[in-house]
Amino acid sequence: MDFARGESDEIIAETIGRFAADELRPRLREFEAARTVGESVRERFAALGFEALDIAEEAGGAGLGLLARVRTNRLLAEADAGAALALDRFAPAIYVIEAFGGVEPLKSLGMNLGQSDLRFALVMDPGAGDTAGARVAGHVAWIPAARADVLVGLGPQGAWVLKDGFAFEPVRGAALHAAGASAVRFDGTPILAWHDPMRAARALARIRIYYASLIWGVLSDAAGFSRSYALDRVAFGKPIAHHQALAFLIVDMYVAVARLGLLIEDAAMAIDAGEGRAVGAAAAAFVDAIEASRFVGPNGVQILGGHGFMRDFPVEKAMRDCRALGLLAGGCDSAREDAGAGLAATISERIAA
Amino acid sequence: MNKFSAALNVHIEQIREWGQREVRPAGLEADRNGAPLPPDHPYFAGYVDFRRRHPGPVDDGAVPEGPAVRMAANNEENAYWDRGMGVAAPGPGLPAPIVTAAGTPEQREHFLGPFRGSEIPRWGSFALTEPSGGSDTAAFRTRATRTDRGFLLNGAKCFIGNAARADWVLVQANLDPDKGRSGQRSFFVERGNRGMTGIKVENKMGLRAYESVSFILEDCEVPRDNILGGERPEQTSRSSAYGATMGTLNTTRVGVAASAVGLARSAYDEALNFAKQSGAFRSIRVRDRLEAMHRQLRAAWLMTLRAAWKADSRIPNIVDASMAKVFAAETAQDLASAGMEIVGLEAAAGHHLVEKLFRDAKALNIVEGTGQIQRIIMARHLVGLPR
Repeated sequence: MDFARGESDEIIAETIGRFAADELRPRLREFEAARTVGESVRERFAALGFEALDIAEEAGGAGLGLLARVRTNRLLAEADAGAALALDRFAPAIYVIEAFGGVEPLKSLGMNLGQSDLRFALVMDPGAGDTAGARVAGHVAWIPAARADVLVGLGPQGAWVLKDGFAFEPVRGAALHAAGASAVRFDGTPILAWHDPMRAARALARIRIYYASLIWGVLSDAAGFSRSYALDRVAFGKPIAHHQALAFLIVDMYVAVARLGLLIEDAAMAIDAGEGRAVGAAAAAFVDAIEASRFVGPNGVQILGGHGFMRDFPVEKAMRDCRALGLLAGGCDSAREDAGAGLAATISERIAA
Repeated sequence: MNKFSAALNVHIEQIREWGQREVRPAGLEADRNGAPLPPDHPYFAGYVDFRRRHPGPVDDGAVPEGPAVRMAANNEENAYWDRGMGVAAPGPGLPAPIVTAAGTPEQREHFLGPFRGSEIPRWGSFALTEPSGGSDTAAFRTRATRTDRGFLLNGAKCFIGNAARADWVLVQANLDPDKGRSGQRSFFVERGNRGMTGIKVENKMGLRAYESVSFILEDCEVPRDNILGGERPEQTSRSSAYGATMGTLNTTRVGVAASAVGLARSAYDEALNFAKQSGAFRSIRVRDRLEAMHRQLRAAWLMTLRAAWKADSRIPNIVDASMAKVFAAETAQDLASAGMEIVGLEAAAGHHLVEKLFRDAKALNIVEGTGQIQRIIMARHLVGLPR
């Protein structure tokens, strides 16, 4: 049993942390207004070599696994979750292709991830996999992306991949603006399609952990920022953090973030190790991320009082971003249902196992 | 990060087998009787024999886990079968690490020696809490005064585990009130001391399997050799008995957290079993409730393991230990309460294990630092909350 992080983890954390602090954090409102992080930031991030961190090496990725992605996402999202999404051209859509077909389909799409400029997007399509080979059509009201070259659809039964036959329409979007905001209309014949509920569940597990790790980062920053503010802000003769009502609230927010981080890393490790509990653990971690966001997000604003409501501070953005992230990947209720259904098999399971 | 070694799993399996066969029935018997099993109950002799045959992993390098992780694993499994019987287990108990850290070589031999290889059940006990307060240790009123032959103790203690059956009770008293907390020292009061009076075994809501004892110290005379660490504690490994005591409590918080996780797991299993057998599992609401219970349980266990792992890795873990303690204790209470909800009137009838767990669990958020105290400790570290 070991909670230690390896040397490569530390190097990644330091590099990503510095990039997030220097390149993303100071410009988060600028990105939000522009609805993009811009090409220069994208190029500098790509130059760091962390773009396809968790994609298989044979497909041009670094093959470091989901745990590395989770930790990277957390650091990027602490600065700006929308920017984190904008900087990732592949995930989480590419998880679907990997889960169903391994690296061969990626090659057949004509891409070497390290070199091509393809951009992927993911939509949840309840009908995916029902009729392999047939046309797929539908409309999704919002995804946090401005454009894509490849559209991937995922449902409980299977998945499909479209290279044509879809269109992005800009929408205002509630949050995550740096990534863009679009409605997606698709009506086309997939170049790839699969029917395999087991693989669909495994792909969804990775996707849920991907988004949960972004929520983790947002909440980590919201808790940390509001804590710092509470130490600076004085009321009734002392920092507001030293009034016990707020001190306890700050503690409980810290606990919620710590709890979430443990569940996410635990699930990511289970996925990387191919454990049978991985699908349920990922669903549970995603539910926990949403529940934590409902607690930490609004209370981050609450601690700042009226200032928290103003766009001068990042806590209002954190509250919106984490709420929106929790609506992706099918949302909370379907994740809760998946996590609950898995319990039937875990009766008298040793929790440590 | 959360897998145990094969060697530790073997030990856990031994506890599980013993727990199912002996610990749970004994705990239920004590609960039904409304009183701890008497010291001469065959269970305790059996326990001593079990521990002699299965002492568990030791620090010989054969097991990769450190002592704190091993303690957590041990406590979790024990508490799954019965938390009260775990506290009632024969042995020196909580004072053992304090005496080991702060006792003189003679005290370690005299007070801990008889426990080594003993074939008869014997107990040690530690008396900190007082009727005037449990959390504010600086406000304790028990005083020690010097005499020609040693010390006189005067005061009162309450909720002291196993004190009525212990060979000795390590009593915390203030020898120098002007120094506040740092004036506190610990004294061995041996069985039969006539100054220890008014011994009363409390009647509790839950955890009835172990004695919680209140007593009065009335001109309780203890010899000079019975002050922990000797008259000049700087000669011992720790400069302050108070420091040694508080240091031990930091460690045992993780142990209590692990016990809370074990109790919570028991409640979860009871609820899940009932839901499946009754058909309630088909209800999406029941499944949602069980999902939330399972998730909370998993998080509590991971928090506890991380706090233990940090202790073994010599990484500061005060915040982690307090977080694990408060979260695990609240998890035990939450899961036992949710278990009552799922089992329903069967639980209300008073025969179901989950009803006992519901009564047992509450204490875990009170003992060894209440949930509020743990939050204060965390707030001191996170936001510098003034004392």
